[in-house]
Amino acid sequence: MVIIRRRNGYFPHAIPPPTGIENGPVFTILRELIMKLHHFIATLLATVFPFAAFSAEKIDDAKRKFFESRIRPVLVESCYECHSSGAKKVGGKLLLDSPDALRDGGESGAPMVAGKPDASLLIHALRYENDLEMPPEKPLPETVIADFIKWINMGAPDPRASDPDKKAEAPTLERQYKEGELWSFQAVEDPSPPSVKNTSWPRSSIDRFVLAKIEKEKLTAASDATPQNLIRRLSIDLTGLPPSFDEVQGFTDSFQAKGQEATIELINQLLASPHFGERWGQHWLDVARFAESNGNDGLSRNPTFPHAWRYRDYVIAALNEDTPYDQFLTEQIAGDLLEHSSPEQRDRFLTATGFLAIGSKPAKAMNNNFNMDVVADQIEVVSTGLLGLSVGCARCHDHKFDPIPTKDYYALAGFFTSTEPLWGIAANEKLTAPPTQLHLLTTPPKSPPPPGVAEKVALIESKSNKNNPPPKKEFTYPVGAPLAMGVRDRKKPANCKINLKGDAKKLGAEVPRGFLTAYPEKLLPAASVSGNQSGRLELAAWVTDSEHPHTARVMVNRIWLHLFGQAIVGTPDDFGVYGDRPTHPELLDHLATRFVKDHKWSIKAMIREIVLSRTYQLATEGTPESLQLDPENKLLTRHLQRRLDAESLRDTILKVSDQLNVQSADGSIIRHLNVLVNHAGNLHEPSNHRSVYLCRLRNSPPPELAAFDLPPAIKVTGKRNETTLPTQALFLLNSEFVLGQSQLFAKAVSTESSSEKRIQKLWQKAYNRAPSSTETADALYLVENVGSESDIEPWTTLAQSLFASNEFRYVD
Amino acid sequence: MYPLYSRRKMLQSASCGFGSLALSGLLGQQSLRAADSANLQSRPPRFPARAQRVIFLCMSGGPAQMDTFDYKPQTGKKPHPGSVYNFKQHGESGLQISELFPETAKHADKLCLLNGMYCDTGIHAQSFLQLHTGDRLRERPSLGAWVSYGLGTESQNLPGFISLNTSRPSTEGSSFLPAIFQGTPIGVNGEDMSKATIADVSGSLLPPKTRRTQLDFIQRLNRRHQQQSPGDTKLESVIQSMELGFRMQATAPDLLDISTEPQHVLDKYRVGKSITKGTCKPSDFGRQCLLARRFAEAGVRFIEVNHGSWDQHKNHRADLTANCETVDAPIAALLEDLDQRGLLDDTLVVWGGEFGRPGLTPGNGKNETGHNSNGFTFWMAGGGVKPGFAYGKTDGTGARAVEGKMHFRDLHATILHLLGLPPNELTYHHAGRDHRLTGPEGGRIVTDIFA
Repeated sequence: MVIIRRRNGYFPHAIPPPTGIENGPVFTILRELIMKLHHFIATLLATVFPFAAFSAEKIDDAKRKFFESRIRPVLVESCYECHSSGAKKVGGKLLLDSPDALRDGGESGAPMVAGKPDASLLIHALRYENDLEMPPEKPLPETVIADFIKWINMGAPDPRASDPDKKAEAPTLERQYKEGELWSFQAVEDPSPPSVKNTSWPRSSIDRFVLAKIEKEKLTAASDATPQNLIRRLSIDLTGLPPSFDEVQGFTDSFQAKGQEATIELINQLLASPHFGERWGQHWLDVARFAESNGNDGLSRNPTFPHAWRYRDYVIAALNEDTPYDQFLTEQIAGDLLEHSSPEQRDRFLTATGFLAIGSKPAKAMNNNFNMDVVADQIEVVSTGLLGLSVGCARCHDHKFDPIPTKDYYALAGFFTSTEPLWGIAANEKLTAPPTQLHLLTTPPKSPPPPGVAEKVALIESKSNKNNPPPKKEFTYPVGAPLAMGVRDRKKPANCKINLKGDAKKLGAEVPRGFLTAYPEKLLPAASVSGNQSGRLELAAWVTDSEHPHTARVMVNRIWLHLFGQAIVGTPDDFGVYGDRPTHPELLDHLATRFVKDHKWSIKAMIREIVLSRTYQLATEGTPESLQLDPENKLLTRHLQRRLDAESLRDTILKVSDQLNVQSADGSIIRHLNVLVNHAGNLHEPSNHRSVYLCRLRNSPPPELAAFDLPPAIKVTGKRNETTLPTQALFLLNSEFVLGQSQLFAKAVSTESSSEKRIQKLWQKAYNRAPSSTETADALYLVENVGSESDIEPWTTLAQSLFASNEFRYVD
Repeated sequence: MYPLYSRRKMLQSASCGFGSLALSGLLGQQSLRAADSANLQSRPPRFPARAQRVIFLCMSGGPAQMDTFDYKPQTGKKPHPGSVYNFKQHGESGLQISELFPETAKHADKLCLLNGMYCDTGIHAQSFLQLHTGDRLRERPSLGAWVSYGLGTESQNLPGFISLNTSRPSTEGSSFLPAIFQGTPIGVNGEDMSKATIADVSGSLLPPKTRRTQLDFIQRLNRRHQQQSPGDTKLESVIQSMELGFRMQATAPDLLDISTEPQHVLDKYRVGKSITKGTCKPSDFGRQCLLARRFAEAGVRFIEVNHGSWDQHKNHRADLTANCETVDAPIAALLEDLDQRGLLDDTLVVWGGEFGRPGLTPGNGKNETGHNSNGFTFWMAGGGVKPGFAYGKTDGTGARAVEGKMHFRDLHATILHLLGLPPNELTYHHAGRDHRLTGPEGGRIVTDIFA
């Protein structure tokens, strides 16, 4: 049993109450009610109570008598039911049965300010003020409340601590975890690769970790993948695009001649391809909940983010340049605070902070919590995206499962309340979001809308803005000015106060800006941040600390997921108590260690090491025993056959039909449209660029991608859903995109001299292989039998059939 | 860890193959591990069923039971939490229903109130998952997927499980059950349901016969491809769903086109009306109910209709009123239509959310509620349950179920039983053991509510 003790004395040591009274019959009726409302008082309170006021030795007899006769009986009778260490379930972790407990308070801080009853939330609660009501069933008599006021005015003398008989008992409040539940908060180990029986099998230390487990279960791994399968797997995994038929032939020959040497060459070539950043950039954009519009704000308004694409391009470039992951994160958290050495670098750093500004916001209208909603999104993307922890619950109450108290949430919140997000004018609709400035970049060229487009822009803008006055000058920029979303420090950075129950209008104690406190002290010391800046630089330094138990583990797990289709920790966004345990904990730590210590946070080097392993290069056909005993492939005895995701499917179709535009897109189709998506109608336009460049509007996904589990981009998505639905079949059979590309695919082979040659070419392009004689016969039959009845070219029908087939859509 | 059956043990000891048992293995004797049952063929119930299909009106967010269907008047002198809206007895049964449901109240004699519901947690995401899948922490097959798995579907041209205005895929997923049983979503919660449809459901330029020839060709390619991965239920499901998608082209476009309904029907369901207020999100709930009726008529086995959110914390009264107003008339129209068409006899309608809420105390001026998983209300109608009946009770303040207590697993067990499926024996073999909807603890079939 592991018991977590908070370093900062957050959980008070309680003294048991006198026994007997609080379990008497009078209280049993009230118990239900009080239990139900116990949470209420939980979120009370905060302020600093001078420690000296509680000093037991100094209490004189009169005060002691007052406490014993007027205060203590009331506490025992009306409060201990829920607020004592003997309570069945303590209300909001607030104990009132010892001076220490009273000083420290509950979930949100201390209930009293000595000498200041009006500032004491305990008194507010007794008076039923400010939405605080205690005891919950009915207020205490005025005279009793007056006693409490008098007592607080005295300095709240509390003699209970001096009673030696009632000191000993252990507190019952501390959260208790089962062995191993907090594994992810412990230091990353550097375990030695285990010894294995079949010493000729492993190619790397990764393989030894994997094989040791397979051998333990007395199973055997699958054979190696064929070179044909391997090049398709590697090409899709590293670039999101399939190889051409010639490339497959070339690699197969080279593999036969040179073996693994050929694979290394291929991997190096793929990692150096600009398409690498487009593929892995998309993975990161999923984590960063990237989108180019706000999404429904709750009032059905959905303003565009015309400049969000610059963050997309930043991510793609950063991955192509293999920006070390710690630097990559630092730029996104605090790029605006980094020293830069050139105007280009300044622009890059500013653009990176778009990470904190592209979130989906609820409407500002009638929303007192708007600013804190923005902060909540920023905390979520940092904690869940980078650390694999959900911190959001602690906005209103201590996390129910993970060791994340409300105080920690507001310690983090201070970084972001000290930070000004820059999202632009939100379609000039203040009810959705107040206008902000943007980062004005200096190095990209101006790009005014082309003449024909400008009119269209104005039309749509005037339509959605007809009732709104134009934005103030401070929020407008010259036409075509290069702008980026992002953040900057506020003029006066300050700590954040606890929002009681998440309500920004009910403030509790101020919490110094700081970090999560649940890590072992020696590993990641608790520290608070002050000074003239928001502290995001310090936050970035903490997140990217080479000893941080989460950052590297979470990232190598994400990388593994994208290479294997399953992660070592099955819940890549949740490394908390209720997340999955790692299937291979030692391997995970080994990878995390390699990532940080040996590869210096290089994502490409980490990927290279993994794809070079034998484990990665296994065939998908498992042995019958492993299929039966390990259907989920937790032991990694084989590679999983995986479906092309939405982007890869579209990109592969475009490539096969010779339509893919391999250049990166220039901006976005909405770069000149500051409009409400819900008013504008369909904004999507056909494009032959790769899917990562399609306009990602929240609540209005690109129709070419929507059928295949595109994430909604509201929250961090480390692992996409993979549904199998008849609606996907309908997309393949009926969508404009697939039909159009099928026509072009058929056309691309139309110059072949015979039907057989056409079929051969179609197979080579779609499947990277020649058709069998049965397949040729089948295809001929199809072409000959659909022609006479249809307006559609029979070859189009054949081409479409290949796009719709499983061999095309799945990767071995 | 699950109770096993003697026949199963006998089969095991006799080393009978798993796969060869095919459909007979679905229930009791042997659960399946491979693709044998991975299709939507209609399968007979294990014993005479009271219901053929389910319409689940899912009220996401936790409806306040004491202001809707669990009347808690004030007792004694001291004010206590309870109903803050007026209740009246309705119909011959005299069921107490709140003034917020005037239309539904007219059908009181069709309702079977379940006032003693309780569950494990007041955390939305977890409880919502548990309501749908029986498990609050892991992704497991949804109730609708289990029903499709157990019974297939009556129409081969439609999915067995359709989820309207859905909120998250994990609640309509099939998890380890073959993917063909997962719910087909139409529309997303919080977005405009008025236009929600199935994309690309029609539009092929090919004549029907050619389409079939093309599909046969695709499926031949797929079968050959599948042979390289024997025993893979995923590829089998992809092939099945390709077939299903193809067949939906014949049926779904007409079903989704409600313009053929007479105006008075559209009015009755309040199609096109949405209230957007506080937590009450635009949902065109009337269109959903009308579509649900049409899908039920067409033979869809399990239809989920969603509305939310009922998670009205701070502005309780106004938001609750908006939520009730949104769903009341459409529900009444649905019950009336099902009844008139004789469908109510074998269609089980289920209403409820992931938990309930503590009551407000009259007169204290407060307008804020929280979550209550210890006592809340569901109701059922049709499908062989007692009409005009109230089962279960909460205590005097509605805080806790005290009589006729029903956990979600009991609700699941009862629904499966009404459909002719033995809940604790409907299992699926996965990762070394048999799994069932009702979990290790099993569910109680609440026979007291059977008509």
